[in-house]
Amino acid sequence: MLETEGLTKSFKGKKAVEGVSLYLDKGESVGLLGPNGAGKSTTISMISTLARPTSGDVRLNGKSVVKDPSAMRSVLGVVPQEIALYEELTAHENLQFFGQIYGLSGKPLETAIQHVLKLVGLEDRQKETVKTYSGGMKRRVNIAAAMMHKPDVIIMDEPTVGIDPQSRSYILEMVRRLNKEEGLTVLYTSHYMEEVERLCDRVYIMDHGSIIASGTKDELKRILSGEETVWIELDRAYPELFAELKMNEHIIQAAETEKGIKLIIPKGKRMLAEIFQLAERHQAQILNVNVQTPSLEDVFLHLTGRKLRD
Amino acid sequence: MWAFLKKDILVLLRDRTELAVLLLMPFILIVILGFSLRGLMAGNTEALNMQVALVQNDDEQAGITEFTEQLETLELQEQTVAGMAAAAEQASPFRTLQMMLASPELAEMISVEEMGAAAARDALEEEEVVAILTIPENFTRLALDKMLLGTGPGTELALTIEDTTSTRADVFETLISDFARALNFETAASRVAAEEGISLEGQGAMELGGLETTSSGEPVDSFQYYTLGIAVMFVLFVSANVAGNTNVERNRHVFDRIMLSNRHPFMYLGGKAISAAMIAFTQLFILFFLSTLVLQAFEWDSLNFWLGMALVSAMLSLCAGALAAFLTTLTVRLNSDAITTVFSGGIVTIFAFLGGSFIPLTGMPDIIQELGNWTPNGASLTAFLQWVQQRDLAAVTDPLVRIGGTAAVLFALSLALFPVKGAN
Ligand SMILES: Nc1ncnc2c1ncn2[C@@H]1O[C@H](COP(=O)(O)OP(=O)(O)OP(=O)(O)O)[C@@H](O)[C@H]1O
Ligand SMILES: [Mg+2]
Repeated sequence: MLETEGLTKSFKGKKAVEGVSLYLDKGESVGLLGPNGAGKSTTISMISTLARPTSGDVRLNGKSVVKDPSAMRSVLGVVPQEIALYEELTAHENLQFFGQIYGLSGKPLETAIQHVLKLVGLEDRQKETVKTYSGGMKRRVNIAAAMMHKPDVIIMDEPTVGIDPQSRSYILEMVRRLNKEEGLTVLYTSHYMEEVERLCDRVYIMDHGSIIASGTKDELKRILSGEETVWIELDRAYPELFAELKMNEHIIQAAETEKGIKLIIPKGKRMLAEIFQLAERHQAQILNVNVQTPSLEDVFLHLTGRKLRD
Repeated sequence: MWAFLKKDILVLLRDRTELAVLLLMPFILIVILGFSLRGLMAGNTEALNMQVALVQNDDEQAGITEFTEQLETLELQEQTVAGMAAAAEQASPFRTLQMMLASPELAEMISVEEMGAAAARDALEEEEVVAILTIPENFTRLALDKMLLGTGPGTELALTIEDTTSTRADVFETLISDFARALNFETAASRVAAEEGISLEGQGAMELGGLETTSSGEPVDSFQYYTLGIAVMFVLFVSANVAGNTNVERNRHVFDRIMLSNRHPFMYLGGKAISAAMIAFTQLFILFFLSTLVLQAFEWDSLNFWLGMALVSAMLSLCAGALAAFLTTLTVRLNSDAITTVFSGGIVTIFAFLGGSFIPLTGMPDIIQELGNWTPNGASLTAFLQWVQQRDLAAVTDPLVRIGGTAAVLFALSLALFPVKGAN
């Protein structure tokens, strides 16, 4: 129902987004994954008609919305990356305002307010000013405000940044329910791989303004089907060991993690012995070794040579 | 539109600091200025009755003669020389000063006695006089050089005050400094007039002193003056504040949400204008009532009087709304947070000065008075003063039309410039 074609946006000649083509089918839950500065928010603001593409097109049911954004705006709910609320007003007053500007009033307005408040679990604190809320609660009202007009499509730009695990899983569960039970089409942006793995049917991976891979989770992981991930937990960092591993021609990717080193190696190749020998030589103390089938995180590492978050 | 209006008003009411700035600060200013400058207004001259000693060290006639003789030696057109000589004769600084002190408003509160330097000292010590005004040697000559030819070092009036805490001495000091300043303002004007050979008769001298607030009717006292002057100034802050929330809305991305709702942007703009107008009107009346309650600035009982005040306030509030819309438009259009900051940080101060919020404008050069009359606050201050003094609608129509005109222009500009297509 919604698609983009060759979306490009330049800021002062510098390309923030380049040639992004993606689509969302009705009822789908799609993830947009990428590290900081990948161009996710810029892509979203073009899709939601808040920014005009330098080139490319956004279409809703086959009709371009770049020139005439109103059709898109009425079916779309956008949860911005920032908390877009009046801090001085209560949750109820905020929702009232955002409902009113979508033309709601009277009883339907109040019903809608109570409905979205229930959805985000904030009914009991709706009369307190947003200022006094915790980060997680603000995020939830931020989502509620985008739901007031019962959109068909909801676009969420990192709705769980910087909040406590409890609020986070609450939000994830809520999004999942909205998608599965109420049939809402979801475009979910994040740099948390596990969120996207949990929520989304299909995933686009963005880096440096372009989509570098896309497909269902399984399709993406199949990119790595011939590979496996090895975690080596060490007692401290060993830069020389890491450097040597990185240079090794059989090792596809190597990344330093908090507790040790993460490697992607070809499946079936007996590399562990070689790695142990190397560790021995550098007098590195191995605390633990873990061999895994790949995650989306690994897909990203494989594609870019970088971890999603540093 | 109602939704936008309610939101803007709620946001302002929840902001304690802003409320304090908009209500408490002006009232404090009214009290301070009202008390400390009580002597300056014609309305409460009775309170002041002061003796001042004048020590004349200058020979005025000799100064004028010297100046005129000097003119002959300069290479000037005959006409110019004649004009300047006439100016020197008629508007000699000392004579202007005397005329000012003898003007009806001032003569009532100040009596000047010429004395010798020693006698003046004694009188000051005995507290028989509150101040000694000393005219230095060559005062006339040096002042004329500076005023008419723009040459020489100029000169200064010396003021000796014993008790610096005395309000009366303060008033006199303000008066004399105003006079000196006015003379400097006059310099350019006199010179031009003299070169064209126009007689200066009657010009300048009568306007000096800055005390006749408005021409006729009831005199205005300082509390009335500052209640009105400060209130009209703080109305400008209401516009700045309401428009300033646009920055917050943009930075917090609620503006994006509003764009996404597909409401016509004029709804948003209209909300700003109406909320600013309503807040401004409320603010004006709260200040008027407070001043009446605490300072007895106005009387309670005349409904007619308050209706007139409401009329002028409504017009000014309308203009404040238009101004808020205009500032909002500039903020969105230029994509800049700085607009409202510059406005409330600089332009309001300039407007307040031009409009006479702090210092009454009579006695200022015509150009300033003229400019001041075109500021919304200046025009409405004039309207308010006229109304307080004369209670005559005819007297306030002119400034009211100007305020309305300004409002209409600002509205039109806002509607023309506000980016209707939000996307960029
Ligand atoms: N208004 C702008 N002016 C100039 N450059 C911009 C602007 N907006 C974004 N950019 C640049 O475009 C690039 C992509 O930014 P964007 O915000 O879309 O990234 P993102 O993927 O959302 O990152 P994050 O995870 O940090 O939110 C960045 O390099 C950013 O600096
Ligand atoms: Mg972003």
